[in-house]
Amino acid sequence: MYIQTTDLTRKFKEKTALDQVNLEINQGELFGLVGPDGAGKTTLIRTLAGLIGISEGNVHVAGCDIGKNPESVKSQIGYMAQEFSLYNKLSVLENLQFFGELYNVPASLQAERVPGLLAFAKLTEFKHKRAAKLSGGMKKKLALACTLLHRPPILLLDEPTTGVDPVSRREFWNILNDLHIQGTTIVVSTPYMDEADRCSRVALIYDGRIVQCESPAAIRGQITGEVLKVVTDDWQKARDLILPLPGVQEVQSYGEALHILMDKVPGVSDNIQQTLEENKLNILEMRGISPRMEEAFISFIRKLNQDK
Amino acid sequence: MSFRHLWAVIRKEIQHILRDRGTFILVLVTPTLVLLLMTYALAVDIEHVPIAVLDYDRSPLSRQFVQQITAGEDLDLYLSAGSIGEIEDLLVRGKIKAALIIDPGFSADLLSMRGLSLQVLIDGTEPETGGFAVDHIGWRAETFANQILSSQLQASGIALDTLQPIDLRIRAWYNPSLVPQVDLVPGLLSVVLGFPAFSVALTLAREHENRTMEQLLATPIKRIELLLGKIIPYVLAGLMNVIVIPLFAMAWFGVPFNGSFLVFLFLSVVFLFAELSMGMVIGVFMRSQSAALALSFLVVMFPGFFLTGIFFPIASLPELARMESLFLPGTQYAIITRGVFLTGIGLDVLWPYAVMLVFLGLVFTGTAALFFKKRLA
Repeated sequence: MYIQTTDLTRKFKEKTALDQVNLEINQGELFGLVGPDGAGKTTLIRTLAGLIGISEGNVHVAGCDIGKNPESVKSQIGYMAQEFSLYNKLSVLENLQFFGELYNVPASLQAERVPGLLAFAKLTEFKHKRAAKLSGGMKKKLALACTLLHRPPILLLDEPTTGVDPVSRREFWNILNDLHIQGTTIVVSTPYMDEADRCSRVALIYDGRIVQCESPAAIRGQITGEVLKVVTDDWQKARDLILPLPGVQEVQSYGEALHILMDKVPGVSDNIQQTLEENKLNILEMRGISPRMEEAFISFIRKLNQDK
Repeated sequence: MSFRHLWAVIRKEIQHILRDRGTFILVLVTPTLVLLLMTYALAVDIEHVPIAVLDYDRSPLSRQFVQQITAGEDLDLYLSAGSIGEIEDLLVRGKIKAALIIDPGFSADLLSMRGLSLQVLIDGTEPETGGFAVDHIGWRAETFANQILSSQLQASGIALDTLQPIDLRIRAWYNPSLVPQVDLVPGLLSVVLGFPAFSVALTLAREHENRTMEQLLATPIKRIELLLGKIIPYVLAGLMNVIVIPLFAMAWFGVPFNGSFLVFLFLSVVFLFAELSMGMVIGVFMRSQSAALALSFLVVMFPGFFLTGIFFPIASLPELARMESLFLPGTQYAIITRGVFLTGIGLDVLWPYAVMLVFLGLVFTGTAALFFKKRLA
């Protein structure tokens, strides 16, 4: 197994951030980590990067025992912290060069790879610009480029697209896809469910534990309910009417449309239609749709919260 | 240790010093500025202290006495007061720093050689100025009495060369005219040249604050490479001061430089290494720049001024403070700078202080390396 954690536990003073995490990631996987804020995503990625200590259990990354020798793994990985963490006073090129030196990339190889990475990240024309002057999306791409100069076999990315505009987000994921195709093992945490959908496997972390670890399709398949899309002429009123009905788990609004996650029992959708009509709302559209990661995720979290 | 890593950090840090205006000013401008300011503030002689006189005697002799006391640059007659209440009022309002009260029997006592007493009131809230006034009134009163005495003796036929039985001839070696700047500047050097220690303390904290530390720790860099890479650029920047400030002090204040410049340069490098390592220890423990700055003031700046013997003799410090002063690089360096600038001594005399500085540097760097972990938590 390329990346493996066995009963990995990490305790901070009061809180158990990771609780007996068992994870196996194969070489070449594009592995997603999802979970609510504070669930332990960042702690897990930092542990894999050898940045924080382990309370109990074992972690092996690319044949290195992280518990015994966290330094050994550092030349094997490219790590990208959640917040932008490059040097604002240095230019794009100088940042790349600095990390190239720290990762022992020979000058000749740097000269060879830098133009490609700049083009890859669409930063070529900004290469002499100070990092401070870049936009949020460009900063993220620069940070990624800095972790790629030494061609690491493993990439550990902590919410790399948080706070990035949709176009840059798409570009960023196209880059990740290319790296994935080239055989890089990627572990990426994300709050966006459409991104989780692009992973080969996804682990759902909740309260420091892995509660699901499947392919996106398998996770969607496990959803305990169905999704109904409803468009009316007054979505706010419709939402307030639908939410208290029996069998309705969750109502989310997407513009004018409502996505209703409801129990898989007969009569619920008839009940919704009847209620809306009784209140003189015009139903413009009403049909069942296949559940997406987002609904699956929310459904899991709701269930976990109820069990607690 | 990888010199590639070391050089990468050094280069990045130099770029930071040159591009960050705050750091640039703190490292390369403030030392000269503070030296200039402190020297002017501290090397000023006390002059023209306003005093009042309450003359109950009102004799020609007492008027002559008052005139002679206020004839110099040191004491100015603010007012000839008419009552003690007036004097009290002037003291309270800070118009005068001292008052001289002459008793009614002044001239009679003086002429009959019975011995007389003078009363001086001083403003105790400013003991330094008050003490100055007392000293100067005392000297002038003595001189005046001697003049009267000798003229009286002469009048009665006894000729005397002098009334002083012992004649003290004082010569101040290494600072013959006792110019305060000459002593102050080399002493202050040990404080102002240490200013880059602030920046060293800030530079590690800044990496934490800007989250760059996290990215740095994820690379294969070794702790010692990072720490040395952080300290060396500031030693180099400090060396610029070591060259510029003495030249400035010699040209501006006329401070002599009697020793060897090479010896001074060498010992300054050793001092900078020790002093800046102190900043490194602070940086290792502090996670924010404001905390690092506050602690630097507490650990580097104040002891540098008050415990290194540049203003107050170390011998006069309480025992605990004397112990602490021993472990401050500034204490050793103040001896070195005064020795090189004024006495003109070399390594043959100064080597024990150099050894102590190397020892301190190693202790501080070792402490920093020991407590700096390549971990976030």
